[in-house]
Amino acid sequence: MLSVTVMNIIYNVINLLVLFIAFRLILFKRVDSVMTKRRDEIDHATDSAKKMEAEAEALKEDYSKKLQEADKECESIISKSRQDGFDEYEKIVGEAKEKADQIITEARHNAQIEAQREKDAYISELTDLVVHAANKIAVSKHDEESDKELYNKFIFEAIEKSN
Amino acid sequence: MMNRVFQTLNIFFERVMGIGCMDIGGLLKELLLEDKVAIHFDFMNGFFDINRSIVISWVIILVLILFMLFITSNMKVHNISKKQLIAELIVEKLRGITYGMLGEEGLRYRDYMVVVLVFIGASNLVGLFGQTPPTMDLNVTASLSLMSIILVEAAGIRKKGMKKWVKSFAEPMAVVAPMNVLELAIRPLSLCMRLFGNIIGATVIMELLKMAVPVFIPAAFSLYFDLFDGLIQAYVFVFLTSLYIKEAVE
Repeated sequence: MLSVTVMNIIYNVINLLVLFIAFRLILFKRVDSVMTKRRDEIDHATDSAKKMEAEAEALKEDYSKKLQEADKECESIISKSRQDGFDEYEKIVGEAKEKADQIITEARHNAQIEAQREKDAYISELTDLVVHAANKIAVSKHDEESDKELYNKFIFEAIEKSN
Repeated sequence: MMNRVFQTLNIFFERVMGIGCMDIGGLLKELLLEDKVAIHFDFMNGFFDINRSIVISWVIILVLILFMLFITSNMKVHNISKKQLIAELIVEKLRGITYGMLGEEGLRYRDYMVVVLVFIGASNLVGLFGQTPPTMDLNVTASLSLMSIILVEAAGIRKKGMKKWVKSFAEPMAVVAPMNVLELAIRPLSLCMRLFGNIIGATVIMELLKMAVPVFIPAAFSLYFDLFDGLIQAYVFVFLTSLYIKEAVE
C-alpha cells in the first residue's frame, strides 16, 4: 500500500471524475431542476399576486372615484330637485295668488255691477213711483192737505221700497 | 529497508514495552507492505495492475450511484415523497457546508467539493463493514490531493489570468517566491499524507485494540476511529482544499 503507481493514480482520478459526473447527472441536475421549477412557480405566483394586488388597488381607486362622483351627482340632483321643487312651489303659489287676485277683482267687479244694477233698478222703480205719483196728482184735486198727504205717502213708499 | 525498520520497531515494543505478543511489526507489515493487487494484468509486467482500493472504490461508487438513483427517482415539484425530501436535504446541506467554506467566489467548485466529501466520507466508513478503507491506500489519497491542487491552481488561473497567477507567487514579497513555489508540492503532499496517516493510524490502533481486548472495547472505540475520525478527516480534507481555493480566487 505504500507503493504509488501512476496507473493506480490515474484509475483513481477516473473514479473521481466518474463519481463527479454521476453526482452531477443523477443528483444535482435532478434536484436542481425540481428546485428551479419550484422557485419559478413561487416567483410566478408572487408576481401574479402582486399584479392582482395592483389591479385590485386600481379597481378600488376607480370605485372610490366613481363613488365620489356618484355622491357629487347625487348631491347635485338633490339640490337641483330641491331648487325645482322650490321653483314649482313658487310658481304654484304665484299662480294661486294671481288667480285669487283675479277672482277677488272679478268678484269686486261683479259686486259693483250688481250694485249698479240694483241702483238702476231702484232708480227706475223710483222713477215709476214718481210717474205714478205724478199721475195720481194729476188726476186728483189739488190742495195743500192732499199734497201733503201725497207727499208723505210718496216718502213712505220710497222708504219702504228702499228697504 | 522497510523490513529492517519494522524489525527494530518490533524489538523496541517487545523489549521496552513488553507487548511483543501483539506483533506490531507484523501488523504494520500486513497493513502497509502486503501485496494489495486485486486484478493483475500480465501485460507490461503488471503496469496496469489494479489495487484492491480501486475495486472497493468501484463498489462505493456503485452503491452511491444506486442510492442516488433511488432517492432521485420519481421527483415531483409538489407533494414530494420522503426520499425526495432526503435527496433535497442532502444536496442543500452538503452544498451549504462546502459553500460556507468556499464563499461566493468559489461557488462553482462547491459541487466537486461535495463529491470529494461524500467519497472520502464513504471510503472512511467502509471500515465499519470490515473492509479496508480505500483511503488507506496512498494511491487514493495521492490522486485526491493531486486533483485538489490541480483544481486550486486552475481556479487561481481562471480567476486571475496566467500572468497574474505567475506574479502571485512573488506576493507579498519576491523573497517568498521559492516558498510559494514549494507550496505547490507541499500542499498536496500534506493533504495526501494527513488523510493517509490518519486513516492508517486509526486502523492500526483499532487492530491493536482488537488484539489486546477482543471484546466490547473495540466496538466502543470503533465509534470514534471508524465513524467520527473518518468523517472528520473527510471534512478536514475538503476544508483545506476549499481554503486553498478560496485563497486562490480572492
